Amino acid sequence: MTAGKKRLNYSYYPGCSLHASGREYDISTRALFKALNMGLKEVPDWFCCGATPAHNVDELLSLSLCAKNLNLAEEVEGDLAVACAACFSRLKTTQHRLKEDGNKLKQVETAIDGPAALGKPVKHILEILARDFGLAKLEQNIKKPLMGLKVASYYGCLLTRPPGVPDLDDCEDPSIMEDILRALGAEPIKWSHRMECCGANFTLSRPGVVLKLSNAILESARLAGADCIMVACPLCHGNLDIRQQGIKELYGNRDSSLFGNIFGSEMQQGGDGPATDRRDLPIFYITQLAALAMGATPEGLGFESVITDPKPLLRDKHLL
Amino acid sequence: MKNKLMHLSNETMNLGFVKKVEALSGSSVRRCFQCGKCSAGCPMSAFMEHPPNRVVRLLQLGQGQRVLAGRSIWYCASCETCSTRCPNKVDLASIMDALRKLSWDADGPSKESYVQLANRLFIENIRTYGRQYELRLGAAFNVKSGQFLKDLMLGPKLLSKGKLKMFHSKNRNIAEIEGIFKRIEEMRKKGEAL
Repeated sequence: MTAGKKRLNYSYYPGCSLHASGREYDISTRALFKALNMGLKEVPDWFCCGATPAHNVDELLSLSLCAKNLNLAEEVEGDLAVACAACFSRLKTTQHRLKEDGNKLKQVETAIDGPAALGKPVKHILEILARDFGLAKLEQNIKKPLMGLKVASYYGCLLTRPPGVPDLDDCEDPSIMEDILRALGAEPIKWSHRMECCGANFTLSRPGVVLKLSNAILESARLAGADCIMVACPLCHGNLDIRQQGIKELYGNRDSSLFGNIFGSEMQQGGDGPATDRRDLPIFYITQLAALAMGATPEGLGFESVITDPKPLLRDKHLL
Repeated sequence: MKNKLMHLSNETMNLGFVKKVEALSGSSVRRCFQCGKCSAGCPMSAFMEHPPNRVVRLLQLGQGQRVLAGRSIWYCASCETCSTRCPNKVDLASIMDALRKLSWDADGPSKESYVQLANRLFIENIRTYGRQYELRLGAAFNVKSGQFLKDLMLGPKLLSKGKLKMFHSKNRNIAEIEGIFKRIEEMRKKGEAL
């Protein structure tokens, strides 16, 4: 039925992180698109979107950088696929803000020295998988279902907020990640911290903030019985994965100050094992799990660049 | 300043500042009726001396200088939870952006210099390279903040995993970025943009 449909082709804005600290997100995205027979062509000579630091202190600069990138993206055919949640949020915010505010648009057009093209649909990988490609078709294409893998899907801040701007899913109670996980054969778990902030770019300036907030997220996922966490943002991944050992060093190997005190023993009785044991939680990108389920070779998905080794878990679940 | 009585008069209230914040952020400050949902949901309020709802209240009372003097605005993570939940559509995340911009321009008296330093280095990186050069960002931050040992063990680990690149080449079209920075500076000089 779907065979007659045209092949989906996208232009691609990877963003700075995907060329360095989040490189496995980039390579697994490419592997996934290849496995699903979708086209992905990188926008040539793209710039940094400015991320949080630029809009933090200079909105005009942030809007101009994104407008410049949107103009560059016009050179490549197809909707713009974005993997990084921060880039996605900035590009969508720019389109939204400039369509609304004629005065700002005039300033930005002066800054980039030309008209700003705001028409290209900007789509996050999640959106492309769940809507453009389709959950049903995703399910049909599975080569290796992620049976028995209990995944905590972590949305973070920028994928869904603020309302009406990213337009990806409900801004307080999204389900797009869980829907995709179910299609891949995995078991999405219910947990409390899927929309909480991980500390974001304080990882550079105030790492203590990240350790505290990310600890709460990891703790909550462990208590809910997750085997691993799935993310769609390189900064969330960095904070939860790279900082995980630092969190252990700071907060110790056992006992949760956060949940232990609030819920006491009540929470721990229901679980199958000591819920407060600070066990390692591998952090996966959505594209790594999806590509794995689509039968891509695991060697090409960047599992070796992750700090918290996911291979024991994958072997345990017979996925490697 | 804490627990001190606040005297409100024409002399102590700076309402021009509030108008500037409203113009920059595109959001009303006056619409807030202090329900406190923003502070209840704020992941960073534990780090702030003025939680988000109090920041807005201080602005309403024309006490912008008290807000700028504190560290609250620099401890906002831009997670947008406040803007999402506000029943009166006060876009607090944008108000925070506007406050940081005003503090930044005035080279304000904020107590939070690390976050400002990180922002400055990040933007410098864009201007010099076009894209982020993460290794340089981290190294420059440690040197300039005097924390030479911060995350020292992390660097080699990330390099060996391929998560940090030793070398980074500039964008071919880097001149276009310089143009954007220059034209924004010019617009501000002429008073055509805030």
